[in-house]
Parts: sequence; structure tokens; C-alpha cells
Amino acid sequence: MKIMLLNGSPKSNNSASEIIINGLCQRLGTTNEYFLLNAMKTNKAEFIEKTNGINAIVIVFPLYVDGIPSHLLRLLYDVKNEIGCTNNQLIIYAIVNNGFYEGTQNSIALEMIQNFCVSANLKWGQGLGVGAGGMSSAAPIGQGPMKNLGLALDKISANIKNSATDDNFFIEPNFPKFLYKISAHFGWRRQAKNNGIKHRDIYSKR
Amino acid sequence: MADILVLQDTNLNSINLDKEKYNVFLLNDTVKPCVGCFGCWIKTPGKCVIKDKYSDFATILPHVREVIIVSELVFGGLSPNVKAIFDRSIGFILPFFRDVDGEMHHQQRYKDRPVFKYMFYGSKISLSEKNTAKKLIKANAINLGTDKYSINFYNSAFDALEELK
Repeated sequence: MKIMLLNGSPKSNNSASEIIINGLCQRLGTTNEYFLLNAMKTNKAEFIEKTNGINAIVIVFPLYVDGIPSHLLRLLYDVKNEIGCTNNQLIIYAIVNNGFYEGTQNSIALEMIQNFCVSANLKWGQGLGVGAGGMSSAAPIGQGPMKNLGLALDKISANIKNSATDDNFFIEPNFPKFLYKISAHFGWRRQAKNNGIKHRDIYSKR
Repeated sequence: MADILVLQDTNLNSINLDKEKYNVFLLNDTVKPCVGCFGCWIKTPGKCVIKDKYSDFATILPHVREVIIVSELVFGGLSPNVKAIFDRSIGFILPFFRDVDGEMHHQQRYKDRPVFKYMFYGSKISLSEKNTAKKLIKANAINLGTDKYSINFYNSAFDALEELK
């Protein structure tokens, strides 16, 4: 098995997508050959070239305005007419994480990737929606609040390794919603303060 | 200034929209993508920090009556250049959360919000893409704090823009 792990986060490092990809790599093991690609740094020609001879692509990205981040969308749009001609045996998997608590809010973005597969004549494998993606660094994957994420990555990595298709599924962290909300609000206020922005100015109207 | 904003991803020389009526943003590949910095929430609240002619878009939204989006339907959503503008407009809302029917969504920065009119075009729009688009626009409306929106599908950009003439 040769697998492309496509990081669709525009952040250069420390993104939830990167953490999820690292967790996935651990589960894919050493018997599978996989390589990473960053959608922000990849153009159409490079992407098409890298799909030669591979079995699967796992697209991991953050939810942006209920959908696919524009730079990743651009890449998929640019390759849709060619990728299926280069390699029509490819199976596509996707893992979307969002800032909201509910993983189900990623379902529309997963549908878009499924529509991409139809458009590009590629096989759809499975999608995973991860709620509270911002918590991904709160604990090692598989432990404490990230226990569900560990179990979900176990499940989808097994399907990727077997080239299996399965229903999309969605998870939340092992952490209460009300505490996640309080923590997130505290985090935004602290980050704003670090930039010299007072609490009331976060609400500025222009 | 015209209080109807038009975002369009295709320029058709044969159709010139009335500049008195519409403030037209032609979106092409020069629109830079969001970089996920959240500067529009924690550095320059309400405004995108990427410096180009689109950085003010989120600050215009509360001051217009209507936003018309003329976009190719791509995988059941906005086309890449239009999506880039939307990704860079989250300063229009706040980073803080609120509950809507048991789901987490964003709090609103502004009391006033425009009507959003989506005009999707494409020569081979599938039923699946239409259904995805309807769900997407409903989800967007919840996050934008409005129920004033419409969604229509056209065979071409010409057909959509012709309707605005």
C-alpha cells in the first residue's frame, strides 16, 4: 500500500490536522509506505505526479466556513479532470476537524469531498468528522480527552490499510461541552491580550 | 455607494451590471487564501490582516442591504475564489460560541446583517451537489445569524448575471 497524506491546513505547523496526521501515521505502521503533502505548497502538476502508483489519498483538513479551505478547494478543483485519468484505482478518505464541539458539523465538507470523487471518477472510502479539533494537542491521541480520537483513527486506519469503504462517522472529545466552551472563550481572550487587544475590543464594530 | 454587493467569479464582457445599483467584486486568482491565523479575531478584530483589496470585505458586510453571490457550483459549494473571500470574512462574526438548537455556533459581532442571495451556476449540476449546496447555505446562514437568504441554480454564469441586469 502506498498512501498520500494530504494536509489541508494552511498553517505551517502545530495545526490540528498535523496532529491527526501524526496519529494516523502511527497507526498505518511500517508495512505501509506513506508520504506527506501540504496542499498550501503543492500545485496541480506536483499533485498529479505524486498520485502515480499510489493506492489511497487521505485528505485531512480543518473546516472553514462549513466547507473546504479555499487553497485546498483550489487544488482539488484544478486536478479533478486529470486525477482520475492518471490513476482511477485511487480510494479517497477524508478527516475533517472543526472548532465547534460537534463532529457532525463536518458532514457537509465530507459531502463535498464525496462530490469531488464523483466529479473526478475516484472511489470514496470513508470520512471522519472530528469535533473540537482545537483540543487535539490537549493530550496524546488515545488518552484522556483524546480517547475517542484514538479509537476513531484506529477504525479509519484499518479501513485505509484494507482499501475498505465504510460509512462516515463523527466524534466529540471525551470532555464536557460546557467546559470546552469556557476553555475556548478563555483561550481567545488570552490570545487577544497577548496581541495587546483588550477584552472589550474583541467585540469592535467597524 | 450602492448597497447591494455582488461577488462574481466570472467576468462577462457582454453583461455590465449597473454600477449605481451594484457594488461589484470580481473575484479572480489574485484573492489570497486565508492562512488560519485568526488575526481577524485577535489582532485586528473584525478585519482580515492579509493586506490586499479584499481585506475590508468583512467590514463592508454589515453596511450593505444585500449580498449576491454569483459562483460556479463546485462540489456542492462555492468556487475557490469566492470561498477565499468567505474564509477571510469570519471577522464578521465573533470567536465566541453560542448554542443554536443544541449545536455550537458563533456569536454575532453586528446587529445588522444583509440578505444573502446565492446564484450557483454550472452546466452539469447533479442532484447531490444541489443538496449539498442547500445544506451548506443553511449552515452558513446559522453561523451568520440570519434566516434571510435564497439559493438558486443556473445553467451558466450568463443566465445568472442576466437576471441581475
